[in-house]
Amino acid sequence: MKESWLKKRRWERCMHTEFQFHIESRIADLMEDGLTRDQAEERARREFGSLELAKDECRDERVFEPVDRSLRNLRHAFRSLSRAPGYCAAAILTLALGIGANTAIFTAIEGVVLKPLPYHEPDRLVMALLYNRSLKYATEVSYPDFLDWRRNARSFEQIAAFKPAGFDLTGPGLPQHLDGYEVSSNFFSILGVSLLAGSSFSPDNDRIGGTPAAVISNRLWRERFQSNPAVIGRSIILNGIGFTVAGVLPPSFYFENELADLYTPIGRVDPLYQTDRTVHDVICVARLKPGVSIGQALAAMKTLQEHIDDLNPTTEKGESAYLVALKQQIVGDVGDTLLLLFAAVSLVLLIAVANVASLLLARSAVRAREFAVRRALGATRMQIVRQLVTESVLLSFAGGLLGLVVAKLVLFAILAAFPGGLPRAGNIGINTSVLLFAFGLSIAVGILFALLPALKYGNTDVQVGLREGGRSSTASHQRTQSALVVTQIALALVLLSDAGLLFRSMIKLWAVNPGFATQHILTFQVGLSPSMTQTADTLRAAYDELTRRIREIPGVEAAGMTALVPLGHNYNSGPFWIGPDRPSVSMAQIPRATYYPISPDYPSTMQIPLVLGRFLQRSDDVHSALAILVDTLMARTYFPDRNPLGQTITIPHWGAQQNVLARIVGVVGHVEQYAMDGSGGGEKPQIYFSIYQLPDDALPAFRQEINFVVRTPLIPAAITPSVENAVAAVGAAQPVYNIRTIREIVSASLSRQCFPMILLVAFALSALLLATVGIYGLISYWTAQRSREIGVRMALGAAKWNVLRMLGAQGIRLALAGIAVGTLAAIALTRVLSSFSRLLYGVRTTDWLTFVAVSLCLLLAALLASYLPARRAAGLDPMTVLRHD
Amino acid sequence: MLILRIAALRPIHGYAILQRIQQLSNDALQIRQGSLYPALYRLEERGWLKSDWQAAESGRNAKFYSLTKLGRRQLEAEKASWKRLCAAISLVLETAD
Repeated sequence: MKESWLKKRRWERCMHTEFQFHIESRIADLMEDGLTRDQAEERARREFGSLELAKDECRDERVFEPVDRSLRNLRHAFRSLSRAPGYCAAAILTLALGIGANTAIFTAIEGVVLKPLPYHEPDRLVMALLYNRSLKYATEVSYPDFLDWRRNARSFEQIAAFKPAGFDLTGPGLPQHLDGYEVSSNFFSILGVSLLAGSSFSPDNDRIGGTPAAVISNRLWRERFQSNPAVIGRSIILNGIGFTVAGVLPPSFYFENELADLYTPIGRVDPLYQTDRTVHDVICVARLKPGVSIGQALAAMKTLQEHIDDLNPTTEKGESAYLVALKQQIVGDVGDTLLLLFAAVSLVLLIAVANVASLLLARSAVRAREFAVRRALGATRMQIVRQLVTESVLLSFAGGLLGLVVAKLVLFAILAAFPGGLPRAGNIGINTSVLLFAFGLSIAVGILFALLPALKYGNTDVQVGLREGGRSSTASHQRTQSALVVTQIALALVLLSDAGLLFRSMIKLWAVNPGFATQHILTFQVGLSPSMTQTADTLRAAYDELTRRIREIPGVEAAGMTALVPLGHNYNSGPFWIGPDRPSVSMAQIPRATYYPISPDYPSTMQIPLVLGRFLQRSDDVHSALAILVDTLMARTYFPDRNPLGQTITIPHWGAQQNVLARIVGVVGHVEQYAMDGSGGGEKPQIYFSIYQLPDDALPAFRQEINFVVRTPLIPAAITPSVENAVAAVGAAQPVYNIRTIREIVSASLSRQCFPMILLVAFALSALLLATVGIYGLISYWTAQRSREIGVRMALGAAKWNVLRMLGAQGIRLALAGIAVGTLAAIALTRVLSSFSRLLYGVRTTDWLTFVAVSLCLLLAALLASYLPARRAAGLDPMTVLRHD
Repeated sequence: MLILRIAALRPIHGYAILQRIQQLSNDALQIRQGSLYPALYRLEERGWLKSDWQAAESGRNAKFYSLTKLGRRQLEAEKASWKRLCAAISLVLETAD
């Protein structure tokens, strides 16, 4: 670069010397002819013509440096842009906003939706579930179903089972609660993941009585074992049992839950579950044989499941199979939401583009004279176009660069705003393809802008351009600009109304009464030390002791336990029937209820209202008859015309016992279990029973699920240390984890609406801002164009008010046109975008209140945007304006 | 072609080229002086002319242009085609008489 610059300097100097020599020689000749030096000099210069022009033409002949010419264009563009800093700032900021927001959303989509899963041939991986035909939903599979499928499914190369599990890691080192999965031994080979060290456990580990073995995550290996390879073969204590570490996963591995740290064999646990076809708690992941489509596999699985149904008529009849691509299952509706946001952000980009286009048009109108002069001086049309393109690409490049900064910020906001985390968030990063996308976008936008005015002015008649002097412009020009502004307003209205609809939904959702107190309640889990979990009796004693000590903490008003926190994304549904007699249908066709295993104090702690009868008591235990609470939905549905108190229902599974009769002792209010908007699991009746009544063989199964709920006016941070002390006092080696307030749980359950709402509001506000700037720009441009007309009017006696009204009316007319177009577009769009209307709650897509509010907002913005330049125009002294010509 | 013809004789600087053209054409061909140089640069760029700096008669350093091999061939080609054109034109003129 430097060398070529030096070369160029030398070249320039040579050229200059050569020209000087020419002129000097001519002067000498002329003086010989008898002219004075001054005369000779003057004549020689005249004969030579413009020195600079000749130089320029010579430079143009230097074809070997095209870069040089672009540099010259670039320098020219810099100079010309720096003369209009306001215009530049507006254009660059507008572009940065549009490109930045778009890049951020594209980045998120790329990471979450587009990127393939990090497994071997991920397209062949599917998730296999059961489909309950009578209740019409997909459910987990029973372990015997999985075994049947593994033996008989022909469409799969392999099929594995897994289920989420929690682990208390108590040694070596400090106690810690970890998430993980119980998986079948072929789980990792199906995904095609090779372990970093060691190996997966063998089928020998994966059976009843098999040696306990575990595969650990890379994170756990790094953080707990300092990446020591000698950890393979060592023993770690999980839930009180020694497991041998069999292998370490590579750092890139994740499956569904990105926090999962431990994987243990699914087949070695609880013989009860391994034969029971009515306990549905495992999920299957399978690899399709090459060339087999999901549709073909599903058809085969349905046939297979029908066969299984026939073999097990009392349990399985009515079950069918359900297959879904693994990626679709993992990405889920988040993908829809992101695509929705992408649509929204594309509208912002469109507005930005329209804004910059109208800025450029306005500027090029002002520059019409400059172009005309240059054409008159012999610049070719191509040269002018080249300069316009250079300027515009320079602008969009700057916008793109700044946009990257904006993208980083927006991305940060997205990651922070998705409570509960985006799936595959680890994948998100601004990478090469995203960078290319952003710059491709900005360059494309730049060239588009340049061509617009270039086509308009490149062939302007020189005469016309000079005559008009960049003052008045053609009607078609104004039409283009008005159309651009109307488009901006319409697009802004679409975004604003969508944001408004979501906002109204959010307000309505927050007003929903979920059936329990949402304030001042804290939940957490406690990992129990091995000595407490030896027998069911020690476990019950531990729960009593923990509850007693927690209740004694100052500031604690009430404390209880539940294995199922409402809105907490846990489900525990099971079949039931009224009275002792089983209906003569298969288990799959029997209605389901949500079962809450609780301590007797749970409903009062959560302030779930008692409608009839009594709450459960501590004296309801293994020695007394089974007592349950039911919710109002159950009472209404199954006992519409009799008192539910004293009635009995049958619970088909009660540990090893079957078909246990339970007596209703109380009726409590219904609570929202799945979502505030009632979506997600359908309305199921709810049944509460005391964990103290669970038989010895069933109680440990709930151990990992038990949550303490504590009512206290104190903030979580203030109470947590006391809770930890109380728990430590009961016995060492007990982690307290998963500390959340009920309020947090409720707001997390609203994230489906909340997250897109926050971003939509942000986008809508930027759209509003851009559209306002657009109107402002257009009106000030008009006033500038018509300043002479305004001057004449005022000189002829028009009052300031008339001028204000004239210009204001213009702004309002634009806004009204935009609002009309936008309203139609918004209504059409919400119809088309089902992923959007699914987010709404209690608000129709044509909610007039939202549209009126949004329209008023836009009108106000338009009024403001046209008032400022109008006031400036009305404040002009007519004489100054007229004299200016 | 004219420039090439003049430069073919001996190395010559720009001002002298201009003078020779006017002299040889008996002042019939007037070239704007400034526009001679772009032409020279173009010919140099095409590789028909080469240049070096020498002392002129006046003693000052000047850029002298001379014909390259390529330039010589080009000159021959242009001469031939010019002659053909002239012959064609005179043929037309004479036949028309």
